[in-house]
Amino acid sequence: MWHRASRVFVGRLGFLTLAVVYASLVIGCLATFVAEGELSLGRRPLENLVRTAGEFAHPSFLDVWFGNTRLEYRSDDGTVLRVENRREVESNYLLGLASATWTTFRIATLGSLLGALLALPLGVLTARNLAAPSFLRLPAKGVLDIARAVHTLVFGLVLVGIVGLGPTAGILAIAFHSMGTYGKLFAESIEALDMAAIEAVRSVGASPAQVFFNAVWPAALPQFVASHLYIWEFNIRDSTILGVIGAGGLGLLITEATSLFQWGRLSTVLIVVVLLVSSFDALSRRIRKALS
Amino acid sequence: MSQSAVVLLDDVRCPTGGPMSLQVKHLEISLGERVAIVGPNGAGKSTLLRLLSGFVRPVAGQVLVLGRSLAAPLSAQGIRALRCEIGQIMQDLHPVERLTVLENVLIGCLGRTRGWRGWTRCYPPGEVEAAETALRAVGLLRRAGTRTDALSGGERQKVAFARMLMQRPRLILADEPTAALDPVAAREVCQLLVEASAGATLVSVVHNPGLLPLLANRVIGMKNGSIDFDLPMVEVNRHGLDAFYSRAEAPVPVTGAKQRSLRTAIPLEGV
Repeated sequence: MWHRASRVFVGRLGFLTLAVVYASLVIGCLATFVAEGELSLGRRPLENLVRTAGEFAHPSFLDVWFGNTRLEYRSDDGTVLRVENRREVESNYLLGLASATWTTFRIATLGSLLGALLALPLGVLTARNLAAPSFLRLPAKGVLDIARAVHTLVFGLVLVGIVGLGPTAGILAIAFHSMGTYGKLFAESIEALDMAAIEAVRSVGASPAQVFFNAVWPAALPQFVASHLYIWEFNIRDSTILGVIGAGGLGLLITEATSLFQWGRLSTVLIVVVLLVSSFDALSRRIRKALS
Repeated sequence: MSQSAVVLLDDVRCPTGGPMSLQVKHLEISLGERVAIVGPNGAGKSTLLRLLSGFVRPVAGQVLVLGRSLAAPLSAQGIRALRCEIGQIMQDLHPVERLTVLENVLIGCLGRTRGWRGWTRCYPPGEVEAAETALRAVGLLRRAGTRTDALSGGERQKVAFARMLMQRPRLILADEPTAALDPVAAREVCQLLVEASAGATLVSVVHNPGLLPLLANRVIGMKNGSIDFDLPMVEVNRHGLDAFYSRAEAPVPVTGAKQRSLRTAIPLEGV
């Protein structure tokens, strides 16, 4: 009786302690920022917000249909310096955008596939229920942990220095980082397999290869495909930013637009990113559903 | 040792999941016998079955199953050859859920299938026919193309059964084959077991005394890890059995500890 009461008490006390530690951590983070005077919203936040939002609300692609065909750039004394057809300029920009989107998609697709292929053996080695010898399991786990901890952008920056600017660096950066996530997901789906079914196939005298192809592979395949689609989708999102470091694709257009404060163009690019990601998400969800 | 001995145990000692160990002075089972093992929980019945299927090894004594000695560790190939010839109906051997009923039954012939056919699930037509015959025998032919995860518990049991028929084993080990079934299905399964064991040897662990006459022509009672009685079916009566169960005190609760020991005792090879 006393024993049980103390166990309940200790259990709740433990949770309470955790909650207090968490609360003091949050307060500590806030308080130090305030003390350093770093928590400010700038000089004219509201004004800036309204101006930026206004420009965002007019995405540049609208100019393809509604733009000024004879936009005149004048100097201060009124002489016409240059005449620009906004419709033509923006439709050229859209063509460039389409090609950048295609580049981003290719980087994500190839990077994901490479990451999945690299991760498959490592995932199999780290799955606890397959009990691989620890001199193989521990290094494999180490590689996966490091790959997961280092951000795609960091990999990208390092790789740009090694293989140069361009999509190769992007593909490899995506592959190296997502390898860590793939390995973890693969190992988890192998760990979730019904061992009793595997034992049953073993119990009829099947060879290890027969066991793999008749019990492990058919049971784990939908999980593998689902993980692959999920990370592929994630990588499409991730590779849009890789252009920032010179790996090509949409990120290049994003840096360009932000550094020139062209919020209208950034708006166009972001609309494309959202469309790309959400349509791929819908597609992959359908495929995953059909596979389960 | 007679020529027809399928199972021969001499002075065997073997640890169980519980505190006591299995001890068998002498046990001989001949070809074509149908043996039922009865006894309270924790008496060592399942350990005895796992000893016969090579999942656990004795610490002392001689174990001969189908002419192979299991006292020394077998090679991977030896274990596979032995498993080919032993059909097992166990609670912890499930069908592969994402394969169809027919594919699950065909797994039974993997032991005699070589090369790519066993990897790609493209079995020879003769084996497919045999699988269909096995499914007809358990009354599931209608559902051959259904995925196994759509089946009920009783139907899955029948799939495991058809897989065992497909294996054409020389020795059948059944651990509480009727545990998940209602009384009608239980009788049906017992009937099937007896039919399947024609020309083979059947060793089963049974809890329901009503099924004994159907399943066995010899009954072995176990208590505290050793054999308490070993009688032909005709000499076993209900009162004797009731007395046996009431005399026997279950020394350990089963559940968790037993399940864990089952898991850890299974060697992982390859995959």
